[in-house]
Amino acid sequence: MAAAAPPTPSSTPFFLDDGAGGQRLCVHYPAVLAAAAAPRGQILLLPPFAEEMNKSRRMIALAARAFAAAGVEVLTIDLLGCGDSSGDFGDAAWTRWSDDVRLAVGWLDARALPGTDGAKPPLWLWGLRAGALLAPAAFDLALDRPLHLLLWQPVTAGKLQLQQFMRLRVAADLIGGQAKGAVQAMRDQLARGEPVEIAGYLLAPALAEGLESAQLKPSPRVRRVAWLELSPREDATLTPAATMAVEAWTAQGAEVRAAVCQGPSFWAATEIEEAPRLIEASLAALTADADFATRPVEAVSA
Amino acid sequence: MNTQQHLLAILDDVLSLEGRAKDFTVDTALLGAIPELDSMAVVSLITALEEQFGFVVDDDEIDGATFATVGALLDFVNGKLAA
Repeated sequence: MAAAAPPTPSSTPFFLDDGAGGQRLCVHYPAVLAAAAAPRGQILLLPPFAEEMNKSRRMIALAARAFAAAGVEVLTIDLLGCGDSSGDFGDAAWTRWSDDVRLAVGWLDARALPGTDGAKPPLWLWGLRAGALLAPAAFDLALDRPLHLLLWQPVTAGKLQLQQFMRLRVAADLIGGQAKGAVQAMRDQLARGEPVEIAGYLLAPALAEGLESAQLKPSPRVRRVAWLELSPREDATLTPAATMAVEAWTAQGAEVRAAVCQGPSFWAATEIEEAPRLIEASLAALTADADFATRPVEAVSA
Repeated sequence: MNTQQHLLAILDDVLSLEGRAKDFTVDTALLGAIPELDSMAVVSLITALEEQFGFVVDDDEIDGATFATVGALLDFVNGKLAA
């Protein structure tokens, strides 16, 4: 007898209501489960910054479907002023984005069904690039369940992301043959409390300040960390910064799995690109049992 | 992989050239000659160089000439690696 084809994961877009704060466009991917099986967990996307999110949408959708098919319930969210959520980018502030993360965690947590042991399954925070900096917003929430991190090429110091974003103006000036000093001019403008426009995004001082001071540091609240990076090379190793972070998380008591997957930097690439090995490595991490940290650092390639 | 090959691999990755960068020589013109190299790509390229080679680029160190050709960019990378 031929086995029935596995059910295809579905996705439903909806607006999550933030009262006076407007609405956030979310996409929900229910877990695909065999009859009577308990979900493996839930995962919330913490989106990357500005244009990186647009370049990442395809990879996020591909990964979300794969996670749902493996029995993990997925929620993605467009933060305030991003995508089809309320507000303009210029309205966004780091504290408001942190509120969005707590709102989305609350929505998922209210839906969480207990597993066979009667306890809620783990909640994963899926931080892509600067999205990782939003994870701490959920660390002090009272959730009676394990909190895990799935990190994709995480930015752990917002200062770097802000510097890279400001460089878009530098690069535009450089191509246009204009004088140097664009970064200092933008910093002066922000310091005066005025927004600056970079690559079509209006960056408000409240967002720049919050991003610049945001950091992802080891927290005792997190039990598991899957730290995944991408490299065009097959024989790549973790960057020195990532190696130090992995050691710090381990010292904090977290179970850590780190890997470098061969694939393109899709959030920054000119074309929309895919990194299937990153999804495979993520699935392996999400579905790992007690062996989660037994393969600490590995290269994932052909 | 030597520095030039590593640099070409990064160019290929950042600019989505699908292997075309393999045929680049030190004389290959970049800025203004390769349409994929827009301002976002320049930033991605600088970031990739920092991450892959492990140095930090100060915004005052670069100008249009840095990205004029593969050779000019290679000189810049070698200069940073030697610093």
